Amino acid sequence: MADILHEIEDAVPALRRYARALTRDIDRADDLVQDCLERAISRRRLFRPSGPVRPWLFTILVNLYRNSLRGQRRRGETLDLSSIPEPAVPAAQPGHLALAELARAIDTLPPEQKEALLLVTLEGLAYKEAADILAIPLGTLMSRLGRARATLKTLTGAPAEPHLRTVK
Amino acid sequence: MSDITRDTLMAYVDGQLDPARCAEVEAFLATNPDAAAEVALLQRQADAIRTLYAPAGAEPVPPRLSVNRLARAQDQRRSRFWTQAAAAVVLLSLGLGGGWLIRGNTDTPAIADRLIADAVSAHTVYVLEKRHAVEVGGDEQEHLSSWLSNRLQTTLAMPDLTASGLTFLGGRLLPAADVPGGKAAQLMYEDTNGERLTLYITPRPAADAPRTEVATLGLDTALFWADDVLTCTITAPYSAEKLQGIAGSVFSQLNPGTPNYRT
Repeated sequence: MADILHEIEDAVPALRRYARALTRDIDRADDLVQDCLERAISRRRLFRPSGPVRPWLFTILVNLYRNSLRGQRRRGETLDLSSIPEPAVPAAQPGHLALAELARAIDTLPPEQKEALLLVTLEGLAYKEAADILAIPLGTLMSRLGRARATLKTLTGAPAEPHLRTVK
Repeated sequence: MSDITRDTLMAYVDGQLDPARCAEVEAFLATNPDAAAEVALLQRQADAIRTLYAPAGAEPVPPRLSVNRLARAQDQRRSRFWTQAAAAVVLLSLGLGGGWLIRGNTDTPAIADRLIADAVSAHTVYVLEKRHAVEVGGDEQEHLSSWLSNRLQTTLAMPDLTASGLTFLGGRLLPAADVPGGKAAQLMYEDTNGERLTLYITPRPAADAPRTEVATLGLDTALFWADDVLTCTITAPYSAEKLQGIAGSVFSQLNPGTPNYRT
């Protein structure tokens, strides 16, 4: 029984990272992760999946995220000041500008595309695993990934600087 | 090479291909600059996403997300609940005991009360069990159904209550002194808040039992009914109205041979 708690604990950094990327809000992200952990801990004996714990945790997190979006739609969006796009000024750091632009572009994606894109690119999951977590067929996952990437490409333009990866 | 599609290129960028397929894609890219540019773009996108968000996974985890701490807090809440539930059971037995004493020369058969009391006791004991809540899990539904049907010498289907937001956890066999055969089945369900509902099912006792009864016992409400074959007591921390709704669905599924849920 102790091992499953350990396995859950090991997944916490990845859950936080994914929740942060989905919400771009540290408090909301950690609230989602806390809910997710509480559910997982209280069900660990009954719903313990036979396979690895991590995909099960991601499934819980995604469902909580979707529920939170439904609640948010009912209450109306809250706007975080830092999420309002800054006026475009010629920047000394084109790399940072491109990253901020990409972050805003990801925010405009439909939630189901964002969920899929981040599971695969950020979390590095296999397509099959990501499709299972999102409870969609493999083909649907791939078409969501394709559409998400095409949108990002349009919104960010084909980035001119090829060395984004060196920007930290 | 014509079988290399956009999806293949995407899968290549996402590291989803086996080495042999990767080599094929790389050979294709060497002679197709457009495809190579597309792949480079996808790789830059993915790198940028990781640059943006990977650092969040390296931050120290705040104390409120400590798994051990959350697990301890839950155990404490459960033991507090257990104390309250024990108090509720004492109150219940006082109530039933009192009822038993004053029942005197009324003709109302007490069998229903005894079955409800047994059902609620079994409910209180087993809903608090984390590891041994059920004897046979809900994933072995067929086995459970045939086993409990045999023991109760009737045909029992496992009701599906997902429409009421309840997941089937499984069931167990229990002793029941007051009914023919001396056995009862308990089936357990859980809602999305982790609240649990149990069905306590026995063959119909020989004595004439009332058709339905509802009792509220502390946190829990129990709804009992009997048909020509079975009795069933539903116990859950829900309102009587909500239980009535669920009861209709339970009845129609539990014993498919019996026509209707009569109130």
